[in-house]
Amino acid sequence: MVLNHGKKIKRILIITISFLFFLNLNATAAQAVGQKASGTLTNVLNTSSASEKLLPAAWMIIPFLLLLLMIATGPIFYKHFWEKHYPKVSILLGAIVVVYYVFILNNYQSLVHALAEYISFIALLSSLFVASGGILIKVNKKSTPFVNVVFLFAGAVISNIIGTTGASMLLIRPFIRMNRNRIKPYHIIFFIFIVSNVGGALTPIGDPPLFLGFLSGVPFFWVIKNVWFIWLPAVLLILLAFYLFDINNKRAEEKGIEYSGKIQFKGTRNLIFLAIIILAVFIDPVVISWIPSLSPLPFGLREIIMFAVVFLSYRYADNEILKDNEFDFEPIKEVAYLFLGIFATMVPALQLIAEEAHLLGSKLNAGVFYWATGGLSAALDNTPTYINFLSAAMGKYGLDVANKAHVIQFVSIDDVYLQAISVAAVFFGSLSYIGNGPNFMVKSISERAGIEMPSFFSYIIKYSLVILVPIFTVIWLVFFYGKG
Amino acid sequence: MKTIEEALKNNLTGLYYGSRVLLPFKCLLLKVIIEDDIITDFSPNSKSIYLNETESFTEIYFKQFKNLKEAVSKFETIKLIAVEKDKNIFDFKNHIKLALHIGEEHKLTIEKTDEDILFIE
Repeated sequence: MVLNHGKKIKRILIITISFLFFLNLNATAAQAVGQKASGTLTNVLNTSSASEKLLPAAWMIIPFLLLLLMIATGPIFYKHFWEKHYPKVSILLGAIVVVYYVFILNNYQSLVHALAEYISFIALLSSLFVASGGILIKVNKKSTPFVNVVFLFAGAVISNIIGTTGASMLLIRPFIRMNRNRIKPYHIIFFIFIVSNVGGALTPIGDPPLFLGFLSGVPFFWVIKNVWFIWLPAVLLILLAFYLFDINNKRAEEKGIEYSGKIQFKGTRNLIFLAIIILAVFIDPVVISWIPSLSPLPFGLREIIMFAVVFLSYRYADNEILKDNEFDFEPIKEVAYLFLGIFATMVPALQLIAEEAHLLGSKLNAGVFYWATGGLSAALDNTPTYINFLSAAMGKYGLDVANKAHVIQFVSIDDVYLQAISVAAVFFGSLSYIGNGPNFMVKSISERAGIEMPSFFSYIIKYSLVILVPIFTVIWLVFFYGKG
Repeated sequence: MKTIEEALKNNLTGLYYGSRVLLPFKCLLLKVIIEDDIITDFSPNSKSIYLNETESFTEIYFKQFKNLKEAVSKFETIKLIAVEKDKNIFDFKNHIKLALHIGEEHKLTIEKTDEDILFIE
């Protein structure tokens, strides 16, 4: 099975690279007729071509909406069809947009741009996923509400260093093991709230939307400087809610169990791989001037390093650790396929929303961006939502999200919009299982461990609406109400 | 007919063909986990599983999977909570947690789960 996955991944990579070359050849041809075209992510982001000004037809957002709708409903209402056919659905819907842009709009630039972002995005996620899958942590400590709170807070901090995906993969099993004698679904749900989502709001490595913002031109340290004072009360309020749940968990402890208090760590080599991934984030010609650009390829040294980490960290991982972690490529394969479709189908949605926001102008305030970004992040995926609303906010000032210089200019104009969008995209991803990639991964790992998790709607009704919505309303009232 | 303990002691292996698993012992099943499906309905009308017991082995058919080798990857397992036929099912001490590894040539390795494999009853 793993070998099959390996072959499939190789095949996907070959197809993707072939596709890149195809697009670049066409982009180069387009350059000859007066369009600026460039292959590297940096150049693509900095280039505003004439073709991008041609707006797509409004109906071209249908593939995007359809894909997001199917992602939301597929695993619940037609699980077996979805499990079998989601790659075809995603590729087919993406292909509709690609054909439209190539043959109707003759706009290759937007596609190359989207593809470059996709490669960067999937390079980061897959490398964090594989590297953290080769690490095993065992905490031999008696779980108490206070110990759990400390663990979850540490998880929130760690998710900013290795991403919510990496932190979720790394910490969910020790968290379950630590609580194995008193585990209940709420333990997993609060883990999803804090480690898989809200915690990762401080750095671009923390959560995919923020990484996409960084790729688009938001300075790396802008997030922590401008969001920490919103992040801290949000995390503390959720932890307080968890503590109240956990002190009422009176499940009897098994007698006679002795705890050494030790934390056992296996797979140290993979920590080095994680460090390489984090350092690689900065390996960009724009961040460090002497880093060579691989133009006209739509990926850089950073992506090559990250994909090398995927290969090496899996190749040299300890099989015993992979076995203990029940490592499987399926979750990252699912993310790779679905996001291939999402990145392609969201191209027209991005352009249309930016145009609409430009027309609506002053009617959109920070509160509107907070709830709109949050509401969609809860129901859809938070990464395209973030970039759509960043595009919309920039449209207010006639700025283009595809232009890195414009993004930097936007950040310097007014912080409050980007704060609202960043916080909402990350925080509200926790409202449902489909709001953020790691949510489903954590649910799946927990179910494989025998924990019966609440259904899609029970999660929302019993937990999200009761715990998160009031906390997010407080955040809105304090930080965004009447601003912008 | 062997018991679970005897099968484990003698390192007996089971078999799998497509969606069918053959265990070299008789047992009562309480819970089965395959991928992220938690199966507790073992009634004849169960949509997930069909059980059959012969004189010398127990058969499990996983109805939702055509080929177990494709569904369960190299590092994954099928997990069971089982009780020996002659033991008191209501005593938790008699609940045995087993992990089934899908191997090559239809071979199914059976082991008692240690604390490294996450398995909450």
